[in-house]
Amino acid sequence: MSDPILSFDDLTVQFGGVRACDSISGSVERGSLFALIGPNGAGKTTLVNAVSGVYKPLPGAKVQFHPNGEPIKDLLSYRPYQIARLGVARTFQNLGLFMGENVLTNLLLGRYIHEHTRLIEGGLFTRRAVKRELAARAAIERVVDLLDLGAFKREPVGDLPYGVQKRVEFGRVLAMEPELLMLDEPMAGMSVDEKQDMIRYIYSAQDELDMTVFLIEHDMGVVMSIADHVMVLDFGQKIAEGTPAAMQQDERVIAAYLGTEVEV
Amino acid sequence: MTATENPAAQQADQTYRPSTLQRFLPFVVAAVVPFILGATTDDLNFWWKAAITIAILALVARLAWKWTPRGELTHREDMRLWRTPSDRSWAALTMFGLLVLPFILASDFTPPMDFPWATWFAVVNLVLIFAMGAAAFNLLVGYSGQISLAHVAFLALGSIVGGIVGVQWSGGNMWLALPAAALAGAVVGAISGLPALRLKHLYLLLATFGFHFVMMLVWREYLQEYFGFVGIRFKGVNSPRIASWLHWLPGIDPDENGEFIITGQFRWYWVLMPITVLSILFMVNVIRTREGRAFAAVRDRDVSASLLGINVARSKLMAFALSSAVVAMSGVLASFYIGSRGEDSFNVQTVLNYAIIIVVGGFSSIQGAIFGSAFFWFLPEWFKWAREELWFVRDIEFLSDYPSEIDLAIKGFLVVIILMFKPDGLAGMWRDFKNWLSRSLARRNP
Repeated sequence: MSDPILSFDDLTVQFGGVRACDSISGSVERGSLFALIGPNGAGKTTLVNAVSGVYKPLPGAKVQFHPNGEPIKDLLSYRPYQIARLGVARTFQNLGLFMGENVLTNLLLGRYIHEHTRLIEGGLFTRRAVKRELAARAAIERVVDLLDLGAFKREPVGDLPYGVQKRVEFGRVLAMEPELLMLDEPMAGMSVDEKQDMIRYIYSAQDELDMTVFLIEHDMGVVMSIADHVMVLDFGQKIAEGTPAAMQQDERVIAAYLGTEVEV
Repeated sequence: MTATENPAAQQADQTYRPSTLQRFLPFVVAAVVPFILGATTDDLNFWWKAAITIAILALVARLAWKWTPRGELTHREDMRLWRTPSDRSWAALTMFGLLVLPFILASDFTPPMDFPWATWFAVVNLVLIFAMGAAAFNLLVGYSGQISLAHVAFLALGSIVGGIVGVQWSGGNMWLALPAAALAGAVVGAISGLPALRLKHLYLLLATFGFHFVMMLVWREYLQEYFGFVGIRFKGVNSPRIASWLHWLPGIDPDENGEFIITGQFRWYWVLMPITVLSILFMVNVIRTREGRAFAAVRDRDVSASLLGINVARSKLMAFALSSAVVAMSGVLASFYIGSRGEDSFNVQTVLNYAIIIVVGGFSSIQGAIFGSAFFWFLPEWFKWAREELWFVRDIEFLSDYPSEIDLAIKGFLVVIILMFKPDGLAGMWRDFKNWLSRSLARRNP
């Protein structure tokens, strides 16, 4: 049964005296929708940052990525841009978009790892560069259609409403066609309708584009309805792990979210 | 998504495709007519020439506007540099203008009120050289966000390479010096960009400024070693010339020694203009393809750029290398065009001048660099003319007593005004004007 695409072991990230993640272990099954939940400051984003190479965990940690049909890669020995090239893509909680550029440019940047136009080829605008550029545009056309972004293509991202910006960022990671897609609160700050749209997009990404999704989410309701497997963090510690239904019943999870009763 | 949901598609309710001939004809006209005009109308009155020129300009703009693909564009059409009717019109106009300009400026015309016709040609050529350097500078500082003050260092590098390759080795072969300078500029530029891997903003500015002084030292040492205090002469025997195997080209008539020396504003224009246009096109193409997009990504958010698979360090160094290569080439051109370079040719003031150019022109816009250099060179000419000719200015003694100080003050004042009211500079104003014009034209004949 077990075919993890990502597994992390004894992952500890420390900022000064604070342990944002305290020896967390876990694994993400290939093709599943893995959800990481927890209250504010639980260390969810820190975990994703450590996996994608932005933060360095303390020695002793192990992060392994297993791309389809390739040997297992030890992610800690790679730099962030190399990790992206291996097929791990992520979004940011507070948007990692390039605000001055338009939607098209932002999406095309998602194709950076798949295009191979060199600087001089691009400058001379050679036939090959044109061909690759056209291929990149054809590839993002699929994403544009999926996410209904056609009307905004030429708009600077900074001028768009927040919900659309979230969609653009999601579109950009889809354009990367990663094997593992890590979404950091893709639904934060969205209305109920927008949330439902986003869930639909995540589903279609998973089905049509065959990605494993690693989702960080705040909203328990959303997670319960879509996740295959849930891990719960609190104060940097893993407090529970299992199916969504089991998590809803778990006392520690309820305590973390709602607090505990205190005997007076 | 269906076409009906897309407002852009709704607007363009009918699709239109020009034939290939129609697509290129305006540009062919814009390319050919200036030469016909230049060759045939020597004995025509200036005003006749102007009238014909304007008529053809209008025609070319109209046709380029009309014969533009409309409706749902294919990817290939969407990717074109000149995509909209307005883009195509302006491109055709610019092309026509650039080609007809030297013929107009070379005619012995005396404008009313002694407007300085002859000096204009020199100014235009300087604008071309500066536009090339400033565009490269803006690509690095504005577009790629790597604040650098080492700009003038690469102009000096261009002069050094021009001195070594163009003067000492080959005795006036500028054509050899240009690629050599590009190569040297790229290598040294990448080295000068190394601090950018660790530093940002003001700290990077100081580090690159340090590089400026290092290069000034190299320049001074080089001059004293080989040329003494007089500096390098790029004129006379060292003037660039067209090789004899190219003398069959139309418009090239060798002198009595069987040589075709590039001298005088008219000939220089035909050397400077194509090189400037091509290098600017090169940079524009870089910006609209993969590595150029990566420059913008690194500028806006380097962490998220690296998570897209962009090697941030490499991207920064490439921006430095590209910019420095073009600046070094413009340094070679400036050396040969101006004719001599000495100890005091490069100073901190020049760095500031380029900064003024890109800020006034429009930060991070290639077009802005062109507008900025035009502003920078034309303004003093206008001031000078106004001081000498305009009756209500001429009599103010204060102005003629401190000409350069007043110029500088007005320039500085204008910079402040532009920064306050139009932060995206002349390029931003130009964009607004174009948008206004296309809107009002579209309203009149939809």
